[in-house]
Amino acid sequence: MARRRSPARLVVALSVAAALAVFLLYTSLAGGSTPSLRPSQLAGHSGTVSLAGVVLAPVGGDAHEGGLRFRMKDIGGAQTVPVVYTGSVPDLFKPGRDVSVRGQMRNGVFVAERDSLVTKCPSKYAPNKTNKTT
Amino acid sequence: MATVALLLAILLAVACVAYVARPFLREPAPADDRLSELSPEERERVRLAEERDRALAALKELEFDHRTGKIADADYRELVAPLRRQAAEALRALEPKALDERSADEREDVHA
Amino acid sequence: MPELGRAALVVALGLVVYAALAGGYAALRGRRRLLESATNALFAALGAVAVAAIVLLVALLRHDFSFVYVADHTSRELPVRYSFTAFWGGQQGSLLLWLLVLTGMGSAAVALNRKLTRDVLPWTVPILGGLASFFAIVLVFVASPFATAPAPADGVGLNPSLQNPYMMAHPPLLYLGYVGLTIPFAFAMAALASGRTDERWIIATRRWTLASWTFLGFAILLGAKWAYEEVGWGGWYAWDPVENAALMPWLVATAFLHSVMVQEKKNMLRIWNVVLVTGAFSLSLFGTFLTRSGVINSIHSFTQSSIGAWFLGFIAVVIAASTALILVRLPLLRSPTRLESLVSREAAFLYNNLFLVALALTVLWGVVFPLVSEALRGEAVTVSGPYYNFFAIAFGLPLVLLMGIGPLIAWRRASLRALGRSLLWPGAAALITGAILLAAGAGSSPPGLIGYTFASFVLAAIVLEFVRGTSARRSIAGESWLGAFTALIGRNRRRYGGYVVHAAIIILLIGAVGIGGFGTTREARLAPGDAMRIGAYHLTYLGSAQRRSANALELRARLQVARDGKDLGVMSAGKNRYFAEQQTSNEVAIRSDWLRAEDLFVIVDQFNNDGSVFLKVLTNPLVNLIWLAGLVFVGGSLITMWPDAREQRRLARRFAYAPA
Repeated sequence: MARRRSPARLVVALSVAAALAVFLLYTSLAGGSTPSLRPSQLAGHSGTVSLAGVVLAPVGGDAHEGGLRFRMKDIGGAQTVPVVYTGSVPDLFKPGRDVSVRGQMRNGVFVAERDSLVTKCPSKYAPNKTNKTT
Repeated sequence: MATVALLLAILLAVACVAYVARPFLREPAPADDRLSELSPEERERVRLAEERDRALAALKELEFDHRTGKIADADYRELVAPLRRQAAEALRALEPKALDERSADEREDVHA
Repeated sequence: MPELGRAALVVALGLVVYAALAGGYAALRGRRRLLESATNALFAALGAVAVAAIVLLVALLRHDFSFVYVADHTSRELPVRYSFTAFWGGQQGSLLLWLLVLTGMGSAAVALNRKLTRDVLPWTVPILGGLASFFAIVLVFVASPFATAPAPADGVGLNPSLQNPYMMAHPPLLYLGYVGLTIPFAFAMAALASGRTDERWIIATRRWTLASWTFLGFAILLGAKWAYEEVGWGGWYAWDPVENAALMPWLVATAFLHSVMVQEKKNMLRIWNVVLVTGAFSLSLFGTFLTRSGVINSIHSFTQSSIGAWFLGFIAVVIAASTALILVRLPLLRSPTRLESLVSREAAFLYNNLFLVALALTVLWGVVFPLVSEALRGEAVTVSGPYYNFFAIAFGLPLVLLMGIGPLIAWRRASLRALGRSLLWPGAAALITGAILLAAGAGSSPPGLIGYTFASFVLAAIVLEFVRGTSARRSIAGESWLGAFTALIGRNRRRYGGYVVHAAIIILLIGAVGIGGFGTTREARLAPGDAMRIGAYHLTYLGSAQRRSANALELRARLQVARDGKDLGVMSAGKNRYFAEQQTSNEVAIRSDWLRAEDLFVIVDQFNNDGSVFLKVLTNPLVNLIWLAGLVFVGGSLITMWPDAREQRRLARRFAYAPA
């Protein structure tokens, strides 16, 4: 006995397909995502990226006046890059911490966007959200 | 300390095993050890009862939707007849005897 | 007493494995006593897990640092209440809590449905046993809370961010939500295994699903309040993967709650419902996997241990087994009824489901995409706010609209004219509100203005529903307005309780749009005596102060606050430095003004050596509506869950035909 297919199914299938297509496109075209790189991968990238690495001493300057200056190193690597950052500094920030910061390479220095510094928390169940620009 | 802990652990284990074995200890030789599954006719009854409840509920909803202005008079007249028929059929499909017993409750439902 | 704890967990493991295997055999072969024995095993497992939990709790309260877990999560100066909550402050303890809640809820669900789970859904006990077995295996072999080591002089202490009332309540409530979703899943799978396609499993688990969904939603808001006050960046939701971990199952559970109504009324969407309940459960497992494994680049990560692999394996098995079961029973599940009209309440529920699931998938993609990208292209990416906000608005606004239209539309087939008439008043109210808001300056945020217009549409529609329902009752039963109103809600708890929940969501929306679209921010460096303005507020820096508490050094910047010349008192914001944990926490100052419906939010970024401070100050309009929404949400849920004697009688009659 043949049954007429309910229009509901067609609506469901088309909507799901449409939604999937839309956000696949959105994310692939880097509309909402930014590449996350290590210092060793920075060469050749000219746009805005997220830089992830370990903070190295010495840390100088002032994040609110003139910029906080420090170097970042690959986690588990050797390549370093100088970083200059302005904005809020998370409480957990210190040499040896894993951090992530958004910005661009300019003349060999990574210039960070304001308030984009974020620390990865150490190995405990420890939320450390600060400096989020929602 | 360790001996106390061990003693308590053994106590716990024994209690649990006893509780798990209880059904077998209570009825070492039961008359019937089968799970009472529903027979096909009983399943059919439940299905019919579901249909009856669904039909009655739909009727009640229609009534309410009409009263609160979500369905125009014309649409109401069009929809209510088949629904009433469906409900009556569902009621009839179950035993007529049962119909009498429960008709009081059902009337209560429809006019709620 | 760690040996007792370890032994109790081993006993629990044996019991749940027995429940799974013996119960499965009993269900297969129809053996009554064996199934009862397996059921007893599940109950006994609760006892054993409770013993283990008590052992850990006592060790925490006594600061027994020979337990590695106690040393890792408490310290001597830690206040007693936080030693208590340290139970779920780490990996192993939180897993034990999960197993405790699972065996507890599982036992309760089975005990309350004794006959059902023995005669009609015999597979419920083995399935619950199987699911519990995973957690028991992990607790015994991979992540034991009872590991011991030579006791150090003092413990490491509890993470300062967890030392507040919100973090005391948030994890247990969250687990009640997550684990609670196991119950409808287990019953649904048991129904499929027995070849049952009727609604028994839905009816039996309806309150469980509602309660879990309520706990989950409330826990999410509690987490947001924690983030607002304790993490203190000025916002309340950051689309962090771990926040999303709880949101995804909640969205799918919301869809499920709506689509089961369609199954009850029209016997449709049966396949969709089992898929949804599997999805909700799998996402709750996935959520806890995300938080524990440290796999996601989020700020909210657990230790990087092998636990991630275990969880991923478990999730894969659950999804594979459920899919197989659904496919096998597909012929039985196919609905005999069809959707009659694309303009009907059933259709509205269907659209609602589509948007909710689309939103959940969007969030899932945003969480998973960085991993996929790293695995396939070798390049990591981060997905942040803009992506989520875009889709939250794109899918959220239609959902809000449906919340208004749905209740006003009839079942089966709606008369377009009647619908148009119903939509007239709420539509007019929305347009007028929109115009007023536009004139008041709300055009500064177009999505905000649209959101508010839709919100007023829904609120007007809800009010209209209550008014029409009450007057309809009056015309039938001739009661007074108040009498008719209470009788209306009393006899239709699910519907009108649902409307209250919708109102709660709208209140949440109004608050979220307020803080998101219409707030202001100012930053300044102030030396003692300097002042700054934000909006109508005037803040003067008085100086800094220090104080020692039991386990921390508290630094505060004191600010005199005034508005329009009127003095509003002193606010203190700053940082706490914790001795044992060697960490600093951010302590913001919040001044809630209920009359003007906004929060003044002060963050101290930095105490400078020269005595000045860097401040970041925000105004957050309407943010407290978000928390109010949480309370209304719980209230509405309670109304829907309230037992209805009439309904119980009706159901008893229906199933009186069958012996169960």
